[in-house]
Amino acid sequence: MIIKSLELEDVTPADIVDDAPLFGESANGLGLDSIDALELGIAIKDNFGVSFSVVNEETKKHFYSVDSLAAYISANQPK
Amino acid sequence: MKKVAGKILFATLSVLYPALVFCGLEFWGLSPRRLSLMLIALAFVHFFNVTRDRASVRDGGAFDKANLVKNLGLVLLMALLGALSFFADNILFLKFYPVLVSLSLLAFFSFSLWKKPSFAFRMANLGDKSLRTAPDRAYVERYCDRVTLAWCFFFVFNASVALATTLVGDDRIWSLYNGLISYILLGIFFAVEFMVRKMMQQKMHSYIPVCQLQRDSRPVDAVVCFDGDATRTWAEFVEDVSKVRQYLESSGKHDWILHCEDSYFFIVALLAMLQGGFKAMVTANRQEAFIKEIKKPENGFMTDEPFGDASAEAVLIQDLLKEPVAEIRWNTFDKDKAEMVMFTSGTTGEPKSVPKMFCQFENELFELVKVFGDGWVGRKVYSTVNHHHIYGLLFTVLLPTATGLPFRRHRIDYPTELASLAAEKAVVASSPAFLKRLAADTDKPIDFKVTPIIYSSGGPLPEEVARKCCDITGYWTMEIYGSTETGGIAYRQSKNGPIWTPFEVCKMSIGENDCLNVKSSYILEPEGFTTGDLVEIYDDGRFLLKGRADSIVKIEEKRISLPEVENRIKSSGLVQDVRVVPMSGSRQYLAAAIVLNAEGREKFKDVAKLEINNFFKKHLAQFIENTVSPKKWRYLEELPQDTQGKIKMRDIQALFGIPESPNFKILKMRREPGMVTLRLVFPETSDFYNGHFPAFKLLPAVAQVDMTVMLANALFGTPRVLQRIQRTKFSYPVLPDTPVNLEMTYKAETGKVLFTYTLDSGRMLSTGTLVTGVQNG
Repeated sequence: MIIKSLELEDVTPADIVDDAPLFGESANGLGLDSIDALELGIAIKDNFGVSFSVVNEETKKHFYSVDSLAAYISANQPK
Repeated sequence: MKKVAGKILFATLSVLYPALVFCGLEFWGLSPRRLSLMLIALAFVHFFNVTRDRASVRDGGAFDKANLVKNLGLVLLMALLGALSFFADNILFLKFYPVLVSLSLLAFFSFSLWKKPSFAFRMANLGDKSLRTAPDRAYVERYCDRVTLAWCFFFVFNASVALATTLVGDDRIWSLYNGLISYILLGIFFAVEFMVRKMMQQKMHSYIPVCQLQRDSRPVDAVVCFDGDATRTWAEFVEDVSKVRQYLESSGKHDWILHCEDSYFFIVALLAMLQGGFKAMVTANRQEAFIKEIKKPENGFMTDEPFGDASAEAVLIQDLLKEPVAEIRWNTFDKDKAEMVMFTSGTTGEPKSVPKMFCQFENELFELVKVFGDGWVGRKVYSTVNHHHIYGLLFTVLLPTATGLPFRRHRIDYPTELASLAAEKAVVASSPAFLKRLAADTDKPIDFKVTPIIYSSGGPLPEEVARKCCDITGYWTMEIYGSTETGGIAYRQSKNGPIWTPFEVCKMSIGENDCLNVKSSYILEPEGFTTGDLVEIYDDGRFLLKGRADSIVKIEEKRISLPEVENRIKSSGLVQDVRVVPMSGSRQYLAAAIVLNAEGREKFKDVAKLEINNFFKKHLAQFIENTVSPKKWRYLEELPQDTQGKIKMRDIQALFGIPESPNFKILKMRREPGMVTLRLVFPETSDFYNGHFPAFKLLPAVAQVDMTVMLANALFGTPRVLQRIQRTKFSYPVLPDTPVNLEMTYKAETGKVLFTYTLDSGRMLSTGTLVTGVQNG
């Protein structure tokens, strides 16, 4: 889903390490930028019905990696 | 009158001086003391001559002052010698006079060499006033300097011999040499110089503006062009122009679209049109669709290759030249009234027509001959570029015509061909695309007998390519900066840095959006033309180009200069060439097309693409924000370009429009309207091989067709669903990891895409036609 919504190229699901940072610079991360974050937020809302209303330090934490996103989504998904 | 009489008296006495002295001594029995009166009298005559001239000298330059000093010095020494021999009653001092004359002339001539222009050039100027402004002035001036230098040597020699005869003491030898032999030598010197000058003039192929060429401007057997050993002479050229002219006048059409691959046919047709007052519309693109688009029913169309579409009513120039010539039709024409049209693809990629008056070309030719002309003497002109574009038109067709240099009828297409010119004195009009290939494909220097002169235009030539080409050819390529709209603006050789020197007639200023504005004698608009290039102009008029104005883009409201990103990528030291383009999908982003250099290829030999991307991303993160860092990457053997070698943003964007897949890799792309050539490789790991031929990895036909459908969709916008496939033939298998070349031609009228897969060796692999159906709109 990440690859599709962000139109990433040359990246396969296997390339995304679940606990690696999605944003910024790191050895095994994706190096996404702030616009990607917005796109990803919209994609998550469309797919899981979970929305991020306020951008703050808290949301940044959720966006840290695939694992943290997954945790946030499962905690907030409407039953 | 008195003034002239005084000069004649002085000259006569000077010339006869040795004879008079000799006769005085031998026959008339005069004493040295009496004879010395003659020298003193001579000094007086000369003194009066000089002082009378002085009034006009007062406001003259250094040259006139030098002349005065020389003359006064001569008077002084003459009077001194005269006085000495009068008081000593000794003939020896009288005999010094010829030495004195030689030395004073030596001083005068060498002074003029030091403070140019040289004496011989001044004399030449008196004879031909137009010389001062002639474009080949530099050449003539250099020749005159040499003549002046030769005179200096002559005077040194003459003064030494005269001195020797004086000191030997024999009156006969002295008077024989100074009164006769010296004059004979002088005469011989004049005669030799005259003959040399005539020979040089013949070699110089004097420049004549194209509009002023007469049918007898050149010798009938002068070679106009050549092709192998076959040549066309001036007489044949005049006849051929007449034949085309005859046809044009009988055709009833005034505006003519012109496309001839053969440079000779091209100039014949062009001159016939210009001389006959017809309008020439010169197009490099002769795709049927394009001709249809620009050709109105009342326009003629002249070409030298059979044209598919009969409705275009193409006239083959070869047919016209087969006819016998009825009468010679040749005339000069008014350059301010002769109209032409050129078509430019522009850097943006949208073709547009640019109206031109012939005076624009003529004025530029004059400038080019002035700046570069003296290096061309005795050379032949070769071309690697298309003469339907302004630079090719000027350098490979009009310049040879105006200067009388023979040109080759056909283009040099392959860098390897350049080696065959090693024995020739060549001028090569080339382009960055050709020179890049030359630099890439040639390992050892070509052993040129005479270093060729190479020009390049159409885009910047990277310094390292220019350096490599210099290693190969011995010449630092002369780059010309200009455009269809402006003509040539400036020139540079990279060995002197990246700064451009404008042609003298070009006035630079900073126009809209910090872009370069040019005014010149070949730009008709009085306000000049503002280019799309960012510029920094120095006080001396030279300037530095800083990228294109449209190279500044906004990505999500952030301004970023594409050249900056490109330069940052280049600074990794692993990249030979790179182009960054803005893309828009669901968001705006940048995409980078990269050609790795040898080092980069070695480093990333077995590295996954994602890792290479990340390497460059990480490298860029030091300098630019993540948002404006390229999101998509392509690694190619060569950047996408058209047949001109121009790299266009549009073509690179089209490349990124082709979805990336691990199943195939695009190495090269060349695109022009209606046609694309791609170099592809299908790696062994490609999914395409699965399940078809378990024993062998052969690319199945269905994959080849699917590939073509996908590419045609991305590049021509044809639908992904086909009506049918026609005339397919799969004659040879496509093997893994072997590069293949795919050529696709799209005919919009019929909605058909012709495709051909070939190997580098030219072996046909497969071919066929996709019928996509005619699209609406």
